[in-house]
Amino acid sequence: MLQTARTPGLNLHTYSEVEEVTGFVGNFKVKIRKKARYVNNECNGCGACWEVCPAYGYNEFNEGLNPRRAIYASFAQAVPMLAQIDMTQCIKCGLCIKACEVEAIDFDQEDEILEIEVGSIVVATGWDEYEPETGYLGYNVYPNVITQLKLERILAPNGPTVGHLKRPSDGKEPKNVLFIQCVGSRDLTRKTYCSAGVCCMISVKNTKLIKQHAPHIDVTVAYMDIRAAGKDYEEYFTASRKEGIKYIRTNVSRLQEDPETHNLKVVIQNTVGTTKLKEFEYDLVVLSCAMMPAKGIEKISSILKLEKSHDGFFKEFHSRLNPIDTKIPGIVLAGVSQGPKAISDSIVQGRAAASSLARLMMKDKYRILLIRATVDNEKCAKCGLCQLNCPYDAIKVEPDGAEVNEILCRGCGACLANCPSEAITLRYYREPQYEKQIDAILENI
Amino acid sequence: MAGTIRAQYPATIRPIRINCTGRVTPSLMMRAIGKGADGVIVAG
Repeated sequence: MLQTARTPGLNLHTYSEVEEVTGFVGNFKVKIRKKARYVNNECNGCGACWEVCPAYGYNEFNEGLNPRRAIYASFAQAVPMLAQIDMTQCIKCGLCIKACEVEAIDFDQEDEILEIEVGSIVVATGWDEYEPETGYLGYNVYPNVITQLKLERILAPNGPTVGHLKRPSDGKEPKNVLFIQCVGSRDLTRKTYCSAGVCCMISVKNTKLIKQHAPHIDVTVAYMDIRAAGKDYEEYFTASRKEGIKYIRTNVSRLQEDPETHNLKVVIQNTVGTTKLKEFEYDLVVLSCAMMPAKGIEKISSILKLEKSHDGFFKEFHSRLNPIDTKIPGIVLAGVSQGPKAISDSIVQGRAAASSLARLMMKDKYRILLIRATVDNEKCAKCGLCQLNCPYDAIKVEPDGAEVNEILCRGCGACLANCPSEAITLRYYREPQYEKQIDAILENI
Repeated sequence: MAGTIRAQYPATIRPIRINCTGRVTPSLMMRAIGKGADGVIVAG
């Protein structure tokens, strides 16, 4: 990110949202809302303001494990390193204004709307962790049931516990930890897909981290299948087993808390070895949850008019042969916005997306097929049904009749099938051609 | 589609390729039935 910010000609808009996208390949117009930080660009991220701030808010970066101040930097390595104020928590005491040496704080700042012109768009909206419903495997009910991302923050050296594994109920180091795999994924009542082995590999990594940090902690993983497909992944999994981490192939039958100790009693059945259900007691349970499309994907998909697959991720042009392009020329997908994948695959797709756009943008011309809808303006009644039915937003009703944007049009013909005045024809696929085909096929009947 | 998934279908079915199912107009379907077809399947 730092490199991005330093590259000349590359503009980075953080804490911003895309509001509107119009136009077509080569000529997109994008409206961006730069949200007010209430801190101007003079800020150098020194931190004097948040040291004096008396108001606290939910720490999004640390998954709410510890509070943050109302004026804060989103995380320690944020680029650009600017403070921002959470106005829902700020009490406007003005202590930060006094503490700031560069006079960067401005309570009256307003959202800024930027309008930029771009030739092409890469959608890389990433993912969010699946949030289990309250009560499912004790989530949100028992304090010592946490999700994988929370554990990530607990194990992080810059996290709330400075890298020491502590459980939420009493802040003590757990004696044993259970990881539960496939929470919310590979589940017919929740998400049916597998998150491409990412949750498996995060668990393997975190079990190794726990063992490295505190070898006396007993670590168990309850899994359906360990999906360690990829270069060196299986070896990594085997190394984790060699370190003494127990892997039990099972579904969790019951999970209940001991109200006094807040330990968790888990009933599981090792389906590879014995066939009997057994109760085990764990100090900490980690739910390895599915990958979900990022929050806000609905908004982006309606702004860009992109389709989504049944799993909620953006739909690619072809799942096997072209997983990068979308149905709209000039808009491509990268990373988990298209489907669950690990870091290396996301990098591959990101680079592929960038180079496919570079190839498109380096030419001055854009070739289109001639199979496009054409309008006979004398017949057009300007009813607007074509505009309503166009999946690509390519036809507009103008005062002189409907007008087709030949770049946006994909030649599907949905407009002409709906045109009551038969004013639209599709080049090379005209009505009489089909009529002749039908007649010829049914000639001998 | 039927070909790529190796599905078997009766030899009496006559496919006509159309750009998009949205392109199919009622008049085309009625024409086929008028000319003696037993039915029209719109698939895609």
